[in-house]
Amino acid sequence: MALVQQVQLQSAPGAGNRARRAAGSPALRLVGRRLLAAIPVLWGVTFLTYVVMSALPNDTAQAALGLKATPAQVAALNHALGLDQPFWVRYWRWLVQVLHGNLGTSITGQSVNSELAQHLPTTLILLAYALVVSLLLAIIVAVLAARRPNGIADRISLAISMLGLSIAPYVLAFILIIVFAVKLGWFPVVSGSLGNTPLSYFKALTLPAASIGFPLFAVYTRLLRADLVEQMQREDYITTAKAKGVSPWRVLIKHALRNSMFTLITVVGLNLGTLVGAAAIIETLFSVPGIGYFLLNSISNHDVPTIEGIVLVFALITVLGNLLADLAYAVLDPRIRYGSTTS
Amino acid sequence: MAAPLPEPALASVLAPQSPPGLPSLVTSRQLRSQRLGRALRLWIPAGVLIFLLAMCFLWPLVYQLPSPTNGDILVASEPPFSPGHILGTDQVGVDIFSQIVYGGQEAFEVAIATTIIGLVVGSAIGITAGYFGRWVDAVLSRVLDVLIAFPALVLALVIAQGLGPSKFHLILALSAFAIPTVGRVTRGSTLVLRSQPFMTAARLAGTRGWRIIVRHIVPNIMPTLVTFSLLGIGILIILEGALDYLGYGTPPPNPSWGNMIATGQTVMTAQPEYVLIPSIFLLVTVIALNMLGDALRERWGVQ
Amino acid sequence: MSVRTASLAGAAALVLGAAACSSSGSSSNNTSASSSPSIGAISAAPVKSGGSITVLEGKGFSGDWPFGLDPATNTDGSADQDYMTAVFGQLFELGGSGQIQPDLATSYAFSNGAKTITINLRQGVKFSDGTPFNAAAVVWNWERDFGPLAVKAGIAPEWVIARSNPKNPNSAPAASAIKATGPYTVQVNLLAPDGGFINQLFDTIPMWIASPTAVQKEGETKFAQYPVGAGPFTVVSDSYSDQIVVKKNPLYWQPGRPYLQSITFKSVSGDEAAYEAMLAGQGQVYEDMSTTQLLDEAAKQPSIQELNELGTSPYDLQLNTAVAPFNNPKAREAIYAATNFTPILQHIFGNRYPVTESFTGPGGICYEPTVPGYQGYNPTLAKQLIASTGLDKVTFQLGTINSSPVAIDTTEALRTEWEALGMKVTIASWNLTELIAAFEANHGKSWQSMIQTAGAFDPSSGVGVGFRFDSLSPFSGVHDPKLDTLLNEAEAPTNLAARCSYYNQAAEYIAKNYYGPFYFTFSPANLSVKGIGGPGLTAALPAVAVAPTIPWEDVYYNPSS
Repeated sequence: MALVQQVQLQSAPGAGNRARRAAGSPALRLVGRRLLAAIPVLWGVTFLTYVVMSALPNDTAQAALGLKATPAQVAALNHALGLDQPFWVRYWRWLVQVLHGNLGTSITGQSVNSELAQHLPTTLILLAYALVVSLLLAIIVAVLAARRPNGIADRISLAISMLGLSIAPYVLAFILIIVFAVKLGWFPVVSGSLGNTPLSYFKALTLPAASIGFPLFAVYTRLLRADLVEQMQREDYITTAKAKGVSPWRVLIKHALRNSMFTLITVVGLNLGTLVGAAAIIETLFSVPGIGYFLLNSISNHDVPTIEGIVLVFALITVLGNLLADLAYAVLDPRIRYGSTTS
Repeated sequence: MAAPLPEPALASVLAPQSPPGLPSLVTSRQLRSQRLGRALRLWIPAGVLIFLLAMCFLWPLVYQLPSPTNGDILVASEPPFSPGHILGTDQVGVDIFSQIVYGGQEAFEVAIATTIIGLVVGSAIGITAGYFGRWVDAVLSRVLDVLIAFPALVLALVIAQGLGPSKFHLILALSAFAIPTVGRVTRGSTLVLRSQPFMTAARLAGTRGWRIIVRHIVPNIMPTLVTFSLLGIGILIILEGALDYLGYGTPPPNPSWGNMIATGQTVMTAQPEYVLIPSIFLLVTVIALNMLGDALRERWGVQ
Repeated sequence: MSVRTASLAGAAALVLGAAACSSSGSSSNNTSASSSPSIGAISAAPVKSGGSITVLEGKGFSGDWPFGLDPATNTDGSADQDYMTAVFGQLFELGGSGQIQPDLATSYAFSNGAKTITINLRQGVKFSDGTPFNAAAVVWNWERDFGPLAVKAGIAPEWVIARSNPKNPNSAPAASAIKATGPYTVQVNLLAPDGGFINQLFDTIPMWIASPTAVQKEGETKFAQYPVGAGPFTVVSDSYSDQIVVKKNPLYWQPGRPYLQSITFKSVSGDEAAYEAMLAGQGQVYEDMSTTQLLDEAAKQPSIQELNELGTSPYDLQLNTAVAPFNNPKAREAIYAATNFTPILQHIFGNRYPVTESFTGPGGICYEPTVPGYQGYNPTLAKQLIASTGLDKVTFQLGTINSSPVAIDTTEALRTEWEALGMKVTIASWNLTELIAAFEANHGKSWQSMIQTAGAFDPSSGVGVGFRFDSLSPFSGVHDPKLDTLLNEAEAPTNLAARCSYYNQAAEYIAKNYYGPFYFTFSPANLSVKGIGGPGLTAALPAVAVAPTIPWEDVYYNPSS
């Protein structure tokens, strides 16, 4: 919901004024309302997941019984597993099972939960690595750029971020591999098991994180820069600060940046869903044993229970990301916390 | 895929130029160079795009290109600038330039088709939600939220895998991602417009709902949508390339840039041109689209 | 005593021309004696003990082990032979000239008209957990290999033995079938003679003997991840389909072996990734490289050595005789006549692989590169047949596995040739699971043509002839009892000449009925960095199932040379 208001703010004339409209409620009520609003979304996501998965041909029974099973045996197992029931029955059963925390069993025999537990942390670390580094770099570069709009730093940052926005991650990945892994040998070509020491772990994750992070960096830089520049030129309090003689750097960092962080946080939260998709390709390219790579494997193996489980987890992460972004925005913005005074 | 996708907030992200600031003293020479800069930033990418589109769609009509799917084994693995094969041939003898041209056709077709579907369906949903408000908005917003929560690539993969790779399924899968994105943007814009004075005036004058939508809302959100769509096309081309790259998009032997990149990567150290050529085309296309979107936004003052 | 012709081969026939040139002119054109293919070898560094190496494994084949490494449950067992061999060792080894050499077993004997096989085990060997390796352990393993887990996974051995329930062919073996006739002697009693019994053991689950104590103590799930055997190495860490680290087994029976202290097996996405890793010094061995351009590139690298193994798996085009259009023999003949493989071999594969017209390759037994009566390229005849059978009116599908660039390039090239003659072909490539599904869909009546490999070191074993041409195999397009009989007869005798005569007849029969053209014998190339030495890496071995089985105890790394 914050997103829409964001658009409102920045699209409306006089949008430099970042005041919010009907936001008079104190933070807690807002949080509560957001949580409530998220529940139907969560349910909708589980439902959509299951609908899409149901459309896939499900040969779990065949896979479980092996190559020599007769059609009769397969049909019997299908019946035992409840796979020949009508859609709603199956959905209900699955939903109940999921609510109990059990995401099912993959066709290799391992439980989906254990497979997730093995692989999900790797992906989360990879994404965190990409996010943190790209955010930090974006902040630094955006601040430098916003200090003097249309100056040299600005132009360079715009050019680099244009490149980052336009390059496909799977193209960037192999450029990074050739340059940094093969020619320079700084990083491993194959990330694989990621090594035993923390250093080798992060070395193995660096190139994948860079492939994911560079486009992120581009977006965040642009977003932040646009926001900072707009604030510096429009906001009254900035003019006041300048008039008071506060150094421009201080103004930029202490005031404008602080406010821009909200937008940034919102965007980061919204990004989570896309990131997991990007992670899948990058993980495959670099052989990082994460959940994205694992998902692609499951898709090509027609391992429907695993796909269901993983897609659900992805979707939940996205919803949670949105929710957290919303909440963070709502909770951190003092104007909301203490009630807005302008309209 | 290239970037976390243009959420409505991001729509404003990509404005490279600052909004017109406080009045400042600008010489007429500076003004002219600014204008020149703006014009260049608009027409150079536009020119590149027009060239690419012409190359992909018009050139084959004028000049008989070698087949993009069937090669002659006797000329397998020819290097670029070989006679008859300006960009060389791949390991089974198929001409690379043909693959680029027809792959480009496919890329543009899928991206534009998806964008149109997204625009039509998405803005219908978004405008309805934004205009009518209240419970209609609540329901439609939730629907959009759910669709957006679904990781785009995964959804596309699952659809492509389940239904089998084909151009139609590709468009279907990508639309599932395009529609909610457009929906959100239009909804936001509609909400903003709705509270404008001229809208109130129109309603007071007794103008009917749909007329208001058509005559007032649509023209006003058009600039946002157009610039947004240009960025969207770029992202869709990359996303579609990703699906082709993974093998779930255009089925071989039909050429596609993603396929070419994937195959090229398998012999990268031996023959880097196989992967570089489609990658460069991909990069140039998306850069041109992004720059054009930026320039138009700047020109139309879209925020 | 296992003999290794590992290091200093005098005649260092450097690879690139070796396979193509030597096999086409090789002495193995006679069909009577067992083939003695020219052994390729490259000069290797002197032997050195100690050190660790990283072996890269390609995904889609050996680089995946999602089911763990328990012989009785590992559906990917034959693809995972590197790890299975490292941990479990082998009973017998296949030497460079195709001879059977002792390892954990010392000798074997056929009796009772090749219906009884007696195997003598090496004495004094222990599993790596200290328990004794003896006949009881072997019998325990072999009976387990017929258990429900293996049957379900489809990997139970195909031995024709008496079952405890005669009505159920998947029930446990009868007590008389597999027994220990002494503390170190095992006997198998078959119901039908099988002269190829020992050959059929290679790269299959009965070859790998697990420690019964460990299985019972650890439980099957943990054992699959941390298997215990009598091989040269033990598992230190195992992350499925990702990485396995093994270290020297202190209890290994052969003194002075293994040379290496530890090996890391690492899964990589494919040939290109492996090559890059080797260039960057992050891997020392990569087996089975098939991308021609990369092989050419590797040949130019001074730091990398390339060994072409002796191919035993010809690529063949399987035609499904159960459905249109290839239920019509004339349509099949048209395919034979429509394919000109020489330019494909030359321009796409750089003449790396020898042409063959049967299911035998220069590395295996009974090699017969030309078959009398084989219909070769004849475009005029092809056009006639295409028109008369209406083959240009239907669109048929040509499928293959997507993890092999050689296979994919072959399908593309064939499609181009055939379409030039007016046929309409669609190409499909699948991963292993989808491939199996494609074969089995609609009771085997869905697929029309497939590019696959058919043949093994011994055609009666593994992905041998039966796999592709037997009426009972789900992966076969042929249902011809006469061919079945021929193949069965070929399996029985212990006299190699007799077996080869049957196989030659079978090849002629296949050619006469146009059941499927053969194209070339794929010879896998193994890459290693200079300083690596060992069988399969610097001295060629016959491929067992596409790739040779490398005895890791004889591999060493001497980087200073």
